[in-house]
Amino acid sequence: MNINNRMINIISRWMRPAFTAFALMGLVAMVASASAEEAKPAVVKPAIDPHADALLRRMGEHLAQAQFFSVNAEIWQDVQLKSGQQVQAGRTIDLQVRRPNRFHAEVRSTRRNRGLYYDGMSITLLNRIQNFYGSIPAPATLDEALDLANERFGIAMPLEDLIVSDPYQNAIRKVISGIDIGPVTVLGVPCEHLAFSLGKVDWQIWIEQGAMPVPRKLVITYKDEEGSPEYTAILSNWDFQTKLPDFMFNFEPPAGAAKIDVAEIKRKNQTHTSEGKQP
Amino acid sequence: MRFANFASIRNIGIGALAVLATLPLLYAQRPQQSQRDERTQRVAPSPRGEPASRGVSVHAPEERHPAVVDRVNHGTIRHVDTHIVQRPIEVHRDIDVHQHIAAHHDVDVDIHRPQFWHDFVFGARFHGLRAGYVQLSVGGAPYYYDDGIYYQQVGNDYQAVYPPVGANVVELPNGAIEIVAGNLAYYYAGGAFYVQQAGGFVIAAPPMGVIVPELPPGTVQVSVNGGVAYQFNGIYYRPVFVNGVTQYMTFMP
Repeated sequence: MNINNRMINIISRWMRPAFTAFALMGLVAMVASASAEEAKPAVVKPAIDPHADALLRRMGEHLAQAQFFSVNAEIWQDVQLKSGQQVQAGRTIDLQVRRPNRFHAEVRSTRRNRGLYYDGMSITLLNRIQNFYGSIPAPATLDEALDLANERFGIAMPLEDLIVSDPYQNAIRKVISGIDIGPVTVLGVPCEHLAFSLGKVDWQIWIEQGAMPVPRKLVITYKDEEGSPEYTAILSNWDFQTKLPDFMFNFEPPAGAAKIDVAEIKRKNQTHTSEGKQP
Repeated sequence: MRFANFASIRNIGIGALAVLATLPLLYAQRPQQSQRDERTQRVAPSPRGEPASRGVSVHAPEERHPAVVDRVNHGTIRHVDTHIVQRPIEVHRDIDVHQHIAAHHDVDVDIHRPQFWHDFVFGARFHGLRAGYVQLSVGGAPYYYDDGIYYQQVGNDYQAVYPPVGANVVELPNGAIEIVAGNLAYYYAGGAFYVQQAGGFVIAAPPMGVIVPELPPGTVQVSVNGGVAYQFNGIYYRPVFVNGVTQYMTFMP
């Protein structure tokens, strides 16, 4: 055996275990990596009871297919006083919708009275108590107009979740869980009670049983706010028959009304908070 | 044979060393995982924490979200994540954060909260003041103060006057509203803008261009450049829709 053969022999003898070692290292690294992958939170699909989903979808399709409708609502909203006491404030809403681009609401409470108009070209607010009005140019569809009003001007159009073009998708898109609580009556109307969760916000809906699957009650619970305040809407007088002509959505300033600006919402440079010490 | 055994033992030894060498890799993954969990928990109370909610198994124990946010509006699922603000609970801790910092929420809510200073009428005269009034000196002039209303003595009477800039009070009037303009917090009540100073609150010159949710009591409606406005103590307020409801912006014509 010459020197070269001996060198090859020695190298191959030492290379084999080294190769084995690297192979083992690779194997262990793969196992470690796989174990870490397993530890990643699994992407879990929303846990929605198929029956609840089907009922919500049916309601959404019913509203989406309606070319026009009217409804009345009584709103009860939790408000926390400075003392920490939680009270409810109420108001009523008379709403008319004509798809794809008409909307009118009258919002009334003891000391406030305002109208909101959308005619496919502009959104107009009317303060009926002080006789002020203001308009903003608006996109050509209800969905876009609702988004513009909320995102740029901080205006939550009343009951907008029922107005959008696809109420089912609008409601379900952020839901992480949903269940069917069961049958219950709302103001004497047999309904199915569904409960959904977005995580930090829960909402419930009571959908009328039978041929007209309309919402009769809606509750939104803001769990991420102090006191977990709730917003409750009780809906009545659904009307899918009475036609809604243009003039119902076209704003005409009342006599003596003054036009004022509509401010875009400010995010950081100025905020203001209400209330002070309790009387 | 002896050589072969030696080789096997050596192989096993090197393999074991390799395993030991890769153990750190295994454990390096675990802290990252726990860090991810911590991040998820921190994200949860975030106002726009939607991603943390989605993808979380609903079978997991319900996480209690701290109540730390406010929304401009309630009553919408579509815009549930729009205009969420962190409640600034860390600022003005020396005042009474619970009383002076609150959600503006949907200002459409209808709760009537009468305050003493709502009854302010400029020039109104009274034969006496309520118990608990405070005597002040502003620029050398004597004033009397009672929960947001300032008086000066006229003969034997006390006459309601506009809040004097520079007046220093220990407590804010009931119902003072926090107005943040730029980096400065004002407390607005009875037509006066108070700022906090050591030992109390002093009336500052009204800031221009800020929005207040209600007019001072006793404003006078005027016309400015053909538009409606209100005047109080030389300051003008222009009505403007904010968040869909009427509020008022200070300005000087």
